[in-house]
Amino acid sequence: MPEPTQPPPPAKPGSAPAAAPAIELPAAGPDEVALLVDERPVVVKKGTSVLQAAERLGIAVPHYCYHPGLTVAGNCRMCFVEIEKMPKLQIGCATQAMQGMVVRTANPRVKAARESIMEFLLINHPLDCPICDQAGECRLQQYANAYGRGESRFVEEKIHHDKGVPIGPRVVFDGERCIKCTRCIRFCDEVSKTHELGLFERGGHAIIGTFPGKSLDNDYSGNTVDICPVGALTWKPFRFQARVWFLRNVPSVCTGCARGCNVELAVYDHRIHRITPRRNAAVNDYWMCDLGRQTYEKLYDRPRLERPAVRAAGAAAPAVLPSPEAVDRAAALLRETVTRHGAASVAAIVSARLTLEDLFMARQALRQAGITRVVVPPHESGEDDALLLRRDKTPNARGAELVGFGRPDAAATAKLAGDIAAGHVHGLVVVGEDPVGDGVLKADRLATIEALVVIDAWQTETAKAAHVALPATGPYEADGVVVNFQGHAQRLRRGVPAPALAEPSWRWLRELGRRFGLAGSWTTASAVFDQAAAELKPLASLSWRSLGGDGHRLVSTEAGPVSGAPAGTQALEP
Amino acid sequence: MSTATRAVSVETEKKIDALLTKYPRKSSALLPALYAVQEEHGWVPEEAQDFVAGKLGVSPAFVAGVVSFYTMFHRKPVGRHHFQICRTLSCMLRGSHEVMARLEQKLGIARGAVTPDGRFSLQFVECLGACDTAPCAQVNDDDVPLLDAAKVDELLARLK
Amino acid sequence: MAYEKLLLKNVGRDDSHTLDVSLAGGGYQALKKALSGMTPEAVLEEVKASGLRGRGGAGFPTGMKWSFLPKLGDKPRYLCVNADESEPGTFKDRLLIERDPHLVLEGIILSSFAIHCHTAFFYIRGEFQKGARIFEQAIAEAYAKGFLGKNILGSGYDLDVLVYRGAGAYICGEETALLESLEGKRGLPRIKPPFPAIVGLYGCPTIINNVETLANVPFIVERGAGWYNGIGRPKNTGPKLFCISGHVKKPGVYEAPLGIPFKELLNEHAGGMLHPDRPLKAAVPGGSSMKVLPAARCDVLLDFDSLAAAGTMLGSAGGMVMDSSTCMVGALLNLAEFYEHESCGQCTPCREGTGWFTKILHRLEAGHGRKEDPDLLIDVAKRVEGNTICPFGEAIAWPVQSYVAEFKSEFDDHVTKGACPFGGAAKRG
Repeated sequence: MPEPTQPPPPAKPGSAPAAAPAIELPAAGPDEVALLVDERPVVVKKGTSVLQAAERLGIAVPHYCYHPGLTVAGNCRMCFVEIEKMPKLQIGCATQAMQGMVVRTANPRVKAARESIMEFLLINHPLDCPICDQAGECRLQQYANAYGRGESRFVEEKIHHDKGVPIGPRVVFDGERCIKCTRCIRFCDEVSKTHELGLFERGGHAIIGTFPGKSLDNDYSGNTVDICPVGALTWKPFRFQARVWFLRNVPSVCTGCARGCNVELAVYDHRIHRITPRRNAAVNDYWMCDLGRQTYEKLYDRPRLERPAVRAAGAAAPAVLPSPEAVDRAAALLRETVTRHGAASVAAIVSARLTLEDLFMARQALRQAGITRVVVPPHESGEDDALLLRRDKTPNARGAELVGFGRPDAAATAKLAGDIAAGHVHGLVVVGEDPVGDGVLKADRLATIEALVVIDAWQTETAKAAHVALPATGPYEADGVVVNFQGHAQRLRRGVPAPALAEPSWRWLRELGRRFGLAGSWTTASAVFDQAAAELKPLASLSWRSLGGDGHRLVSTEAGPVSGAPAGTQALEP
Repeated sequence: MSTATRAVSVETEKKIDALLTKYPRKSSALLPALYAVQEEHGWVPEEAQDFVAGKLGVSPAFVAGVVSFYTMFHRKPVGRHHFQICRTLSCMLRGSHEVMARLEQKLGIARGAVTPDGRFSLQFVECLGACDTAPCAQVNDDDVPLLDAAKVDELLARLK
Repeated sequence: MAYEKLLLKNVGRDDSHTLDVSLAGGGYQALKKALSGMTPEAVLEEVKASGLRGRGGAGFPTGMKWSFLPKLGDKPRYLCVNADESEPGTFKDRLLIERDPHLVLEGIILSSFAIHCHTAFFYIRGEFQKGARIFEQAIAEAYAKGFLGKNILGSGYDLDVLVYRGAGAYICGEETALLESLEGKRGLPRIKPPFPAIVGLYGCPTIINNVETLANVPFIVERGAGWYNGIGRPKNTGPKLFCISGHVKKPGVYEAPLGIPFKELLNEHAGGMLHPDRPLKAAVPGGSSMKVLPAARCDVLLDFDSLAAAGTMLGSAGGMVMDSSTCMVGALLNLAEFYEHESCGQCTPCREGTGWFTKILHRLEAGHGRKEDPDLLIDVAKRVEGNTICPFGEAIAWPVQSYVAEFKSEFDDHVTKGACPFGGAAKRG
């Protein structure tokens, strides 16, 4: 085999580029370089790749193996560009932009090379597209259309590998679709640091896999599916559920823990079918955990509270009332209890899973009703890990603190439970929590409670015991703001409609508050947020609109971006 | 770990331990460690790959990837006499396919297989870098030059 | 004037692999000379001035390669000896390793000294068990004699040499794949730049040289660059080991100055064609990765520049000779299978292209070829060439292009006859 080409002799200091480009380059700072990409000048930081420099200009250089969140592998060879004075085409991902470089990303030579790479990638690729879940968001399809030759010259038997392999509990592997870009291996080595995947064999028989008997089972395995540019790795819960071109992707925020990973909700036929990460360098970078991907399942896996229900004393079954009457009844019960036992005998349990708007309105309404004892129960499991997962499983503990409820407090919750058990509490408002179902309260200890008002999305044990139960929207069914553990305020967006009579908790609370004389006529979450921003100092100067897609860091008490990619650099095609 | 379930013997483990400090970086010990395993077992069982991974502080998947990259690490047992016949151009020009055919016929197995008694295994390999002795082969670690039908018969008669 | 054998001067002797025989033949004199009176820089300059070009494949000037090392810093520098001789048709380094390891070792010590290296690795292909054993013995003898280890020959210079065995992978002869393998990984070539001289083994500056290249260094140091320049042809200086195998009477390794005529190697050294009634059909002068020459174009001189002018390369000087009985489709298929088997599988064009070649050639050889197949082979080869991470792409693209182009009518015959005219498919078994 010929030896590799040798490095050119070191450049003489001060030697000028041989031919000055026809287009004048802008001045570059000391740690910057200026170059031309497709005749357009661009200035980038030293160390930026040619591919990234092109993206800065909005010029997409097609690629499979390169991913901005991973190290460079340079194996797919799709991102070839031509660089003046370099005899061979260079791969844009692994070539550093240099001062005065003249780069061409789409001339006939580059196009011919891309066409060659496409042909090589497709000769052994199965024609699975009709039944492949990746179809519609497959980079092979996309690039075959844009850069391929449009016909096959390959008449041989394709290389065969195992298909439909359960490589992990949540991920399925198809060896024939794999193009060996190694993104998944690099993810497990560099990001999750779990090292389950390896490359086995060599040549055309090279294949991704786990060690015999081991499985791709880590908290972040779903990311391998996201970054797989083809249909080799698919997400088990989404397999054969919907064609991706029917999905509507709604940008939102994961509600699974205090991280609040930015996500896309994939909606089809009024149902969420998949949640995938949306890049936010300040919160989750390109990634999210497997638990978060499955948070939508809660919407569908237990009976919903569909309509307002009022249970008369001694009645076995609750009666269904129109909403205003149900709220009237709740208010009346609470008022009677206060009258009978005093305001101190009425308490509230509100959830850190609620939005800032819900919590703010809870604060307003409860204060108006004279209820001052409010606890926020904690929901913790596992530990904070080195990547994204938080022990705190509530998305909005910092929001609860912001509106004045304090952070989730196990001791205060236990104290209230004790007081209820001891018969000292006679009225209780529960918003978004299920203390009975969670084992915090025993149903038979609720006997002394004369007014139990529950606002929740599900037919929970607590809701079943309620005198008045009001149906709320569930996660991903309403707009709102949450504040993650870093103090990053971000907007949840509604992905799917709630049951017809369900309302966001803040609306029920507004109505309840009105029964006690609360003024104000907010009709949208944005109006509530802007009111909160006007009243709460940490939110000062913020508005609903200003939060945009990436949110806003209120206080920077924690470390910034979770990985090395510079904030604000959005890859055109990750 | 009890003796019965050891992935490698105490002696092999000692060898591997010594390898860990032999090179400027521990990672370089991998290929020599796999050789040490193969010296003991005649091949590199999965349990031993796992064991070596633990010794070097790398993932088992990484070790298995390395094992499967190099043709000299056997992933299943081979015969007591492992015949590797060179199939590349210079040996082909001098009759290596005829030699292979003769061996297959005499041993009653196809290339890639092991005789039922475990005595012989047969493999076509790429250029052994001994084209001056074509057609050439290796039987275990030994070079066998200038093979022909007579030499094949003589060799098979001699090896037990 | 008869040519004085240098590289093979000891090879004919009994026990030529021992230190005693080496010393009796003047071994380690160059080392004594260098360590007693020369600076590392002087050794490097001498090698540079000698015009020594790498004997591994590309013929890159060795001294210049060494001079790419960055300024001495905190990081150690490494010399990795490429003893992964795997290019089909090549077996010259094996001879040196097994028969005159001390000549190689002296070259290693001198070169390490020249580049300020204190740990050198001898990466030898796994199949060379015998060579590895012999070289380990030679190293042990050299340590005992004070040629290796601390304070070599009282000079204050320290050097350790470690033997590292590959395990069956042609690609590890590519220098960055060799480094990966030496680091205990799959032998996947690295993206360059950075080049190993800057970022090599363990991220440190590293020089990788071929065995035969290093075996030249003792002569250059001992007798001087001027003397060395007198051997061979301008810019193609020094003694060279030529391998020749295939359809010749006496396959073997022959030493001659660079630039001897191929026909002299074939007829005088190798005893001519194996069968008198089967004339020369084609030869690959440089190892299987190089372009094939049909008999009519075999009147060439064997050196880097002459062969480049003839449209091929000296490569590793692994000459393979094919007579008139050879089916060129079958020969190319054999090589294609080799490259398919040895492709590391890392980058797309090589991983996919090598298998494609094999499949097309299988069909042709089996009589199922289509008339467009020869052109398809050439077109696919052009799409592999230049597009891969390492030179493996060229190593398969060049033979494919040249075999098909030079013997197009034979490929076409396979198509029109619907069978191999040489009965090749049956012969291959």
